[in-house]
Amino acid sequence: MSIAIAEEKGWEPKIIVFACNWCTYAAADLAGLNHLEYPAQVRIIRTPCSGRMDPMLVLRAFNRGADGVLLSG
Amino acid sequence: MRKRVGVFVCDCGTNIASVVDTEEVARYAANLPGVVFSTTYKYMCSDPGQEMIRKAIKEHDLEQVVVASCSPRMHEKTFRKAVEQGGINGYLFEMVNIREQDSWVHHDRGEATKKAKDLVRMAVAKVLRNKPLYISHIPITKKALVIGGGIAGMQAALDIADAGYPVILVEKQATIGGKMAQLDKTFPTMDCAA
Amino acid sequence: MVAVAQHPNIQIITYAEVTNVAGYIGNFKVTIKKKPKYVDWDLCTGCGTCIEKCPTKKIPDPFDLGLGMTTAIRKVYPQAVPGKPFIDDKHCRKLTEGKCGVCEKICPTKAIKFDDKEEYMTVEVGAIVMATGYDLFKWEEVYGEYGYGKYPDVITSLHFERLASAGGPTGGKIKRPSDGKEPKRVAFIKCVGSRDDTKGKSYCSRACCMYTAKHAYQVKDKIPDSEAYVFYMDVRTAGKNYEEFYQRSLNAGAKYIRGRVSKIYQRGDSLVLKAEDSLLGRPLEVEVDMVVLATAMVPSEGAQELAKIIGFSVDKDGFYQEAHPKLQPVETFAAGVYLAGACQGPKDIPDTVAQASGAAVKVCGLLAKDMLATEPMVSEVDIYKCSGCGFCVPICPYKAISLVEITEKGHHGPIVRQVAEVNGSLCQGCGACVPACRTAALNLKGFTDEQLVAEVDALCL
Ligand SMILES: Cc1cc2nc3c(=O)[nH]c(=O)nc-3n(C[C@H](O)[C@H](O)[C@H](O)COP(=O)(O)OP(=O)(O)OC[C@H]3O[C@@H](n4cnc5c(N)ncnc54)[C@H](O)[C@@H]3O)c2cc1C
Ligand code: SF4
Repeated sequence: MSIAIAEEKGWEPKIIVFACNWCTYAAADLAGLNHLEYPAQVRIIRTPCSGRMDPMLVLRAFNRGADGVLLSG
Repeated sequence: MRKRVGVFVCDCGTNIASVVDTEEVARYAANLPGVVFSTTYKYMCSDPGQEMIRKAIKEHDLEQVVVASCSPRMHEKTFRKAVEQGGINGYLFEMVNIREQDSWVHHDRGEATKKAKDLVRMAVAKVLRNKPLYISHIPITKKALVIGGGIAGMQAALDIADAGYPVILVEKQATIGGKMAQLDKTFPTMDCAA
Repeated sequence: MVAVAQHPNIQIITYAEVTNVAGYIGNFKVTIKKKPKYVDWDLCTGCGTCIEKCPTKKIPDPFDLGLGMTTAIRKVYPQAVPGKPFIDDKHCRKLTEGKCGVCEKICPTKAIKFDDKEEYMTVEVGAIVMATGYDLFKWEEVYGEYGYGKYPDVITSLHFERLASAGGPTGGKIKRPSDGKEPKRVAFIKCVGSRDDTKGKSYCSRACCMYTAKHAYQVKDKIPDSEAYVFYMDVRTAGKNYEEFYQRSLNAGAKYIRGRVSKIYQRGDSLVLKAEDSLLGRPLEVEVDMVVLATAMVPSEGAQELAKIIGFSVDKDGFYQEAHPKLQPVETFAAGVYLAGACQGPKDIPDTVAQASGAAVKVCGLLAKDMLATEPMVSEVDIYKCSGCGFCVPICPYKAISLVEITEKGHHGPIVRQVAEVNGSLCQGCGACVPACRTAALNLKGFTDEQLVAEVDALCL
């Protein structure tokens, strides 16, 4: 499905973010503090460190229907 | 472990409630698997808010607690303590960030509320798999090391030693004193340096 | 200084350096290297006969920055603490050429030990205070306009301190190095290497404005009919009684000229400074007998390596990084390691003492506890799943995992095998070891695979 068609049908992407507690998660909090708006389809999962990230978790997310995965830390 | 989750949704005055329909989130949470109680409150972190958690744990025989409010970086410790005072292990608790990562960054009430519900669902799923964790205690060697024997090292060593603890002062030169020993008189008092 | 030496709770280890630090807050294991002093300080009474008799007397004294001479066996300076001598192995004839040995012959307590070796010792401590101080910026390497150090009468402020000091090479009489004459006209240049992005450091060294005011005053005070010129960019006197101190120098007749010196050159017996008086907007030439440079403070030699050994960070200039500039000025990012003095950034003595007392309180607060609580969200090993491959060991950035032998019951008697073990005090809960474990024996408490998968599944519903 192209993005154009998808948008027409009211489709919304499901984005899963794995965020390191010490940097990205803190940065997302800072974005909040400054009221910097971003699309509401983003769902953040807190990880203790990006070192904890297992490729298995990324695959799991896609497998369960995530449209995008952002790994940041 | 039994599944008896309590979900507490915070308004944060209007910080959260003006964008997220907290009542709606609490109603939604009540129907999630494992959840036996849910509610909202104006300021969850306040004294009455914490008391509400402690009471609910007893009244509803809760085993796990989820608080949806600000960032865990802000109040995780606060709520963990409240949960412990309520009588369950502080690690059978999860926090959902619906302020910094939701109400403060989105405007659309519908979308923000949907996101809050998703995040609460995630936390409930996690907390059901939490295990009690225990802080352990390690002994402390009651002795200090000071590296550098200038005025900074000497002062620190003296203060620690005066408090009754042994101090080892390591200095690279064959004397302590540092740069100050090389000075003649020192400002602002012009007393001698040695 | 004497108070430190006499304190029953303080053990001073001089001529030594820290070479390794293992462990964690509350339980550090520290290796200290003691350099050979060639004198047994347990036997030595500090009588000083050896120092008098040492024939190697023409060594430029490092304590006087080469302004005076000293002996091969010496105390750093006469009032050194502890008051015992060491042998400078770069200059001692016995140690360099195998000749002499006079001190050994005359020492009444047989304390001289020419075969002294480097020694290592380990100590266990609960907290560490860093107080390694500062060095001075090497101006000779970059300031060509001031002569790259080739004019003997262009000296640093620390040289000046030695000249002004009653214990210094001139007994406190200010004499210039080239010919020992009393300089009647002295120029001071501030901010040499400080606040100079192109040649030096961007920061202000904070003590120089004040010690230069002190030096200018000393010139006016000690040398009759003298002139003291101070070239400055700003005069910074932000401290209690500091402005008053500066005013005293002005009242004594020190001449402050706002502007940078662009060149120094020799003219006959004197030095000529070319500058601009930026308040009058006029070029200026001043002839003087001696120039004193207030050079920048920089981190002491080896400070950065030491930070690496212990495991905390330094800032862009190499000074020790505090955990928070406002709220945690004496803490580092390594728990149990605190900062005091100029190692954290340029400071004068009042600020140094204040910070040192602050660090001491942090240490006392820690040592006053009987036990230390540790975060329970750490890695754990399921020994029944662990194959003992050791893959996780090098991955852990905190050296928290080691392999240990365990004995299990087998059909044909006990079986000994290796498994990973996590030290819960060292583990910082990063979880890097978990994805690396091939048998899924490792898990991070609070962030287990099961918990994270449940989160993913719940979100993707
Ligand atoms: C010319 C001049 C004049 C000054 N006059 C004044 C004044 O009048 N009034 C005033 O308030 N301030 C003055 N100051 C500033 C003052 O010198 C400092 O504030 C003070 O010395 C800082 O003390 P410290 O202990 O932090 O550092 P330091 O005095 O540098 O002491 C550090 C010590 O640590 C040792 N060390 C370094 N590395 C190691 C290592 N790896 N292992 C073991 N030991 C190590 C060093 O040998 C030294 O003994 C002056 C500075 C200068 C340059
Ligand atoms: S969680 Fe991090 S610190 Fe702990 S053992 Fe694993 S890699 Fe090391």
